[in-house]
Amino acid sequence: MPRLPTSLIRAARLIDPLLPLLLRPCRDLRSAQNELRWLCEHIQNHAGARNITERTALLKKLVQERSTGKPLQYILGTEFFGDFEIECRPGVLIPRQETAASITQLVHLLRKSKSLPPELRILDLCTGTGCIPLLFQDELSKHQDIRLELLGVDISKKAIQLARSNLAKLRSQGKPTAGNKISFMRADVLDDAREGYDHEIPKLMSALESQHKSSTWDILISNPPYVSPSEYWKTTTRSVRCFEPQLALVPPPSHGLKDLDQGDRFYPRLLHIARDVAAKIVLFEVADLDQALRVTGMARQAGIFSGIEIWRDDPGGSAELESTYASGDFPIVGSGNGRSVLCWRGEGAVWLGKHV
Amino acid sequence: MLPPSLLRLPLRLPSSPSSLSHLRSPIRAFTTTSLNLQKHFPPRLVIPDSDIEENFLKGSGPGGQKINKTSSAVQLKHLPTGIVVKCQETRSRSQNRKLARKTLAERVEELMLGDEARTRVKARERSRKKASAEKKKRRKYRALEEAKAAEGTEGGGEGDGDAAVEMEKDTIEPGKGG
Repeated sequence: MPRLPTSLIRAARLIDPLLPLLLRPCRDLRSAQNELRWLCEHIQNHAGARNITERTALLKKLVQERSTGKPLQYILGTEFFGDFEIECRPGVLIPRQETAASITQLVHLLRKSKSLPPELRILDLCTGTGCIPLLFQDELSKHQDIRLELLGVDISKKAIQLARSNLAKLRSQGKPTAGNKISFMRADVLDDAREGYDHEIPKLMSALESQHKSSTWDILISNPPYVSPSEYWKTTTRSVRCFEPQLALVPPPSHGLKDLDQGDRFYPRLLHIARDVAAKIVLFEVADLDQALRVTGMARQAGIFSGIEIWRDDPGGSAELESTYASGDFPIVGSGNGRSVLCWRGEGAVWLGKHV
Repeated sequence: MLPPSLLRLPLRLPSSPSSLSHLRSPIRAFTTTSLNLQKHFPPRLVIPDSDIEENFLKGSGPGGQKINKTSSAVQLKHLPTGIVVKCQETRSRSQNRKLARKTLAERVEELMLGDEARTRVKARERSRKKASAEKKKRRKYRALEEAKAAEGTEGGGEGDGDAAVEMEKDTIEPGKGG
């Protein structure tokens, strides 16, 4: 990481004595100023400081916390995901803007369809804060008269607790549309035995059965851990490495798996689940275009899908580039980094408006 | 000691038209001339999405789980005129998109209508009100000075009093302006 120029630190101090501290994680003046403003707003609106002295002391404390690299979302306690303010807590991955963009685009395609069934079932694996089911149901119910059943699954107890608390918060605001069923369940998506495995956590399929959940799901969405161990050390930022849970980023090691394969470890299993639950539309988030191409390869090998597409960071932006075909024969939609892989079959093609 | 509720910043009440409509109906004018509640601003310009190029500013390099960015800046470019607007006010990208669109519409309108644009009309209205408040203030202090002067001279001629006030006003003016 390049050193911060002294002139920049001096310029920051002239604006506000606390700004140089925020330059450490932000690296540029504009975003440091933005963060300082948001911290001030947070203190004025939420924190229990009673007078100006307490407020100043609290602001200083929060700025110091932030300067160690602690994510702003953990300090403020929330992150925006689409139109929602989702609660965040240490121990659960913070929702990313790119994920919201993919989900919004998927719903956008579904909304245009005239032939959606009266009831749709959506399964979200590795749900974390529960942001995907919550955004999905809100975006779709706003425009379509449709009944939705959504289930979020995660291995982490903290994540499930947080997802339920997010759901309860939205319920208290009267947000989830009546008639839609949303629930969260703790289960392990990977099915093979591994070291240090907690035998109390049920496997996904047996959990679906024992909790009397449906065994068929129309849409399967997942943002699984997809960072390989070497990428984890080389490409993630320090704030991610030091403060966000490794469980949500790096798939668990398995005997005889190479570095790259460990990063991709969830996808074969997810495609397997997609077949077992008879999913008609599948959307997986990936790290970059290379991983997207590897996943599309796996999906083609699975041989159950009639169409596969790669989406970039911003799949539906106004700067909609013409779909380009990379080395494979799959269209790549949108602008930015390779971000997700969309597969469909059967009625899914009609729902997405893809003409066979 | 004041109660803590008074020390907090004042809450902004929702100002949607629906909440105001029931407040408006019982207003009765004290004068025979009717109260003009309708503001005569030009209508807001709506820019079609096809004229806008939207850009989510982000650095190059990896995204997704690997980095955790707090910026949700939005940049809009109006294709017919080439006006560029950037917004990073809030943490919410969808909020920033709305704000950026509003600012862009205002800019384009300023370019199209010049002095007749909504923002310009509003700014004029604001400065007119400020000027009239200023004038009122000056008048009030002048009256006070006048009363004081009248007390000091104790029944001087009317013409003399006026002249004294005029002179005093001249000397006081620059100080007040600052």
